[in-house]
Amino acid sequence: MAVTPDVTDPAARLEDLVDTAHRIRNAIESVIEGKGDVVRLTLTVLLAEGHLLIEDVPGVGKTMLAKALARSIDCPVKRVQFTPDLLPSDITGVSAYNQQTREFEFKPGPVFANIVVGDEINRASPKTQSALLECMEEHQVTVDGVTYELESPFMVIATQNPIEMEGTYPLPEAQRDRFTAKVAMGYPEPAAELEMLDVHGASQPLDKMEPVATTAEVAALIQAVRAVYVSPPVKRYAVDIVAATRTSPDLRLGASPRATLHLVRSARAHAALSGRDYVIPDDLQDLAVPVLAHRLLPSLEAQGQRRHPEQIVGELVRRVPVPDAA
Amino acid sequence: MRLPVAAGLATAAVMITLYPLFEGGAWFWSCMGAILVTTLTGVAASRLGARPWVAPAVTPVTVLLYMTAVFAHEEAWLRVVPTKDSLALLAELLGNGFEDIQRYAAPVPPHAGITLLTAGGVALIALLVDVFAVRLRRAALAGLPLLALFTVPAAVITDPIGWPAFVIAAFGYVGLLVVDGRERLSRWGRAVGVRRSSGSARAATPDTERLALSGKRIGVTAIVLAVLVPAALPTLSPDPLFGFGVGNGLGGGGGNIGIPDAIAKLGGQLRQQTNATVLTYTSSDDVPRYLRIYSLDIFDGTKWTLAPLRGRPQDRVSEGPLPPVPGLRPGAPVKRAEMRITMSEDIDELHFLPLPYPAREVEADGDWRADRTSLMVFSTEDQAAGMEYRVVTDEPQPTAEELNAAVTLPESDRYLQLPDGLDPRVAALAQRVTADATTPYEAAVALQRWFTGEGRFTYDLRASGSGAQALSRFLLRDRAGYCEQFAGAMAVMARMLGIPARVSIGYTGGTKIGDEWTVRTHDAHAWPELFFDGIGWLRFEPTPAGAAGQGTAQVPQYSLPVTPTAEPSAGPSQRPSSEEEDSGESAGPARPNPRQLDRDLDGTAVAADPGTPAAVKIGLGVAAALALLLLPAAARLLVRRRRLRRLTRTAAGGHAAWAELRDTLTDLGMAGDPGETPRALGRRITERYALQAQAAESLARVVTSEERLRYAPTPSASGPVADDLHRIRRALAPRASRWRRLGAVFAPMSVLLRVRRAGEGALDVFDRLEGLRPRLWRASGGTRARGTATTARRSGTASAEGAGSAKEPTLTGARR
Repeated sequence: MAVTPDVTDPAARLEDLVDTAHRIRNAIESVIEGKGDVVRLTLTVLLAEGHLLIEDVPGVGKTMLAKALARSIDCPVKRVQFTPDLLPSDITGVSAYNQQTREFEFKPGPVFANIVVGDEINRASPKTQSALLECMEEHQVTVDGVTYELESPFMVIATQNPIEMEGTYPLPEAQRDRFTAKVAMGYPEPAAELEMLDVHGASQPLDKMEPVATTAEVAALIQAVRAVYVSPPVKRYAVDIVAATRTSPDLRLGASPRATLHLVRSARAHAALSGRDYVIPDDLQDLAVPVLAHRLLPSLEAQGQRRHPEQIVGELVRRVPVPDAA
Repeated sequence: MRLPVAAGLATAAVMITLYPLFEGGAWFWSCMGAILVTTLTGVAASRLGARPWVAPAVTPVTVLLYMTAVFAHEEAWLRVVPTKDSLALLAELLGNGFEDIQRYAAPVPPHAGITLLTAGGVALIALLVDVFAVRLRRAALAGLPLLALFTVPAAVITDPIGWPAFVIAAFGYVGLLVVDGRERLSRWGRAVGVRRSSGSARAATPDTERLALSGKRIGVTAIVLAVLVPAALPTLSPDPLFGFGVGNGLGGGGGNIGIPDAIAKLGGQLRQQTNATVLTYTSSDDVPRYLRIYSLDIFDGTKWTLAPLRGRPQDRVSEGPLPPVPGLRPGAPVKRAEMRITMSEDIDELHFLPLPYPAREVEADGDWRADRTSLMVFSTEDQAAGMEYRVVTDEPQPTAEELNAAVTLPESDRYLQLPDGLDPRVAALAQRVTADATTPYEAAVALQRWFTGEGRFTYDLRASGSGAQALSRFLLRDRAGYCEQFAGAMAVMARMLGIPARVSIGYTGGTKIGDEWTVRTHDAHAWPELFFDGIGWLRFEPTPAGAAGQGTAQVPQYSLPVTPTAEPSAGPSQRPSSEEEDSGESAGPARPNPRQLDRDLDGTAVAADPGTPAAVKIGLGVAAALALLLLPAAARLLVRRRRLRRLTRTAAGGHAAWAELRDTLTDLGMAGDPGETPRALGRRITERYALQAQAAESLARVVTSEERLRYAPTPSASGPVADDLHRIRRALAPRASRWRRLGAVFAPMSVLLRVRRAGEGALDVFDRLEGLRPRLWRASGGTRARGTATTARRSGTASAEGAGSAKEPTLTGARR
């Protein structure tokens, strides 16, 4: 890369970013073994100022991942355990009457933190779910006519059990759309599981975790990600991929324009994490499935053939031609 | 409703091909009017739902009204309704028309009679097309009357019809077929009883639009091929687009002089009194010589023709002496003479030079070439008329001993070939005539003497033909004929005796006027040439000379020596010669079908140089096919060279390196999905084909450079070099199968795909043009309901197509 005075700064920032990200990754991976991809995606979403949905069966470390990320960054973390009887105000906060001051006083809920872990989000009633999801998009909470800004950076990491499981309210499409990416943890490799037994058998490694980055550092990283260059052909490619989901006969519902936005944003972060100051189609390809698949509804035929949106998106990505020169 | 219109359009399109037949454009409008009237009648009949027989019955009436209005309105009642007088006028005009046709050659003047006749004929064709296509619903059969109309100019005019006219005509027919197919399909969907209900018709059309499109695509492709393929293959026929044939103008008309007329209009020419000068010449020894034009060496039982000529560039007469004289022993005594020949300006098209045999040197302006075997000199471009040229001839001077010693080894046995089915009595006669001859030479002399004397032949210009039957008649019964029969008969008899023989056509030496020798039309002549090894071809003269024969014919000296035995061995002489003669003859070759010669000459593709016909022709064909097959390989090489050049010229190499890499992979069958990014491609190739470190590095360089060029704000400073590409190709080629490698060289997929894409692009343009038409129509006149119906249908088909393409490797949905 040509090093000229005016690009020195971004280049240095980029190196800084890669460095910091590497530290965070190492920290998380010291807790969760053998899940490099998931950790990387989590970081990508963090840097893309998005929200992450982790879906998998209980006990594979969803919550652990969320907690580890939160712990590795020196920032306020709140955790909400969603249950069927959870109320919206339990999340956003309430205005309570203060007897002494004779005034209503706002008691901030758990969303007022940099990282909010929403555990088993699909166990709560839709009403409560939507309360959280609203703040995700708006980055603000309005209670009794007063608007309260949320922290920045602000990231929601929600976990959910597969919807086929008992006692779950599936998230409606509109709300799934707000999550930048969905990731499945998957069972660990036998070797990783074995190591886990060794590490977790004696103590709780989470307790030993030390923060490796500050909020300010993360905010700077996010700024650096925003500066990553997206060339016109890549933008066109993103639009092409999303458009392909809308015309695909296998899909009943295609991806929204918001999905395009999320895709490009997370591709920026993905590129930055690779130490690149420009996005290449590979970034989009890597992210297409986690970013798009959870927003799509397969058609009845595709359902009949047991084809999952993940599969369908994968096929689409292989078929949409990569744009050449602008 | 569209079908009658399409039928009318088809007729109009074919009618356009009549243009070379007429002067001016009056005929066009009359004919258009006739077609319009016919079509309108048909449309009206269809719209009123009349029975099929109504339109053919009514059309003649409307056409008559139209003819009356146009050609005989002054005699008609209300200018339209026919009266007795107007009918008489029309009949008179018709008569005039027929007379004019007899009188004039195309292009004919725009007389009312001819125009009326043409308009009537076109109206008849239009009616027939309407009957076939609309009433009987046999659109394909409507091609027959159209074809009949099309053959009129093709038969009358010798020039080819211009290809644009052909294309228009073909489009007319294709359009008719398309409309018919559509209408047929649209009927499927109609509910019973609402035949003309527009709503149901609309509901039924959806599928036909797409089908019609593919029909048109096929039609257009077929027409384009029909025009281009013959043009690209000139050897298929004497294609007039190229003008390769050696025309000798035998078919020309009019009162000009020269052989062409003598052949073309033999009957008239024999009675012709004018005896025009064809050429004049001076010769260094002031001896007249026969001037040969053609040498006919094939006798197929009906006529003498000539083998295909071979005019190789190195045989140009300007390149030096002519090819060696066939059969002449090197060092044999010859008599050299020089002649300066001046051709008349007024002769017909002639692409051969009249020359003495054997010519050794010819000095003439233009691209004149000598045929190696016959020493005929001809040109595919230049004409003899008005030429002045010099020729040097080396006449062999054989002694009697040499002649008697000469065996007659044929150059090739084609000079001995005779068709099957010749009268055996002719062969017996030949044996009898030459019974006393001990050498071939004596036999030849005996034959000549027999023809000119003992056989008691009569010179008679009324004879005709030189085929097997004419031969028998001439030799065994009539014993009357002129040079053509004499020459042909002697050549055949010589062949029967094992002496190679051929027939030459040209002129006799003419007569001396002043210092010059003048050759006239009446000196046109045919004579046999016989082959003697060591001496070559020798002329003989079986035709009676002098007042009772061909005036200026001369018996060659060498055939005169007194032979020991000369007995009249021939059969009974039928009748004494009734000295009928005089100059009324123009002689020359009198083929049963004189024009046949013309065709034969035209048919010899001289420029293609087909020497030994079959083998060389096949060889040429194979070579052309090979060259055609090598085209893709050449294209690929060119593209590669251009890219490599660009690579070295610009620092980063632009996208050239990447394009070349992609093409190389495509050729080797290693291309990936369209969704493969440069980086992924590099990874895949490196891993799957286990590239060596160096090659992998080169590949990475190409990939990275392309990636940065495409997607980064600044391109990389250094790009790949040509060596990188060479290295990659060398590393990859062994991984492909042998066939793949061969294919990569001779039929590179990258080129073929590009051709296919170009074709698809052309079809897309065509489709867009097609799409434009209905849109314009809709914009101007279509109802709103129809418009929305079409839109809905469009989106419907689009999604249906999307479904179809889901299994294809690329998404084509965006193209629509």
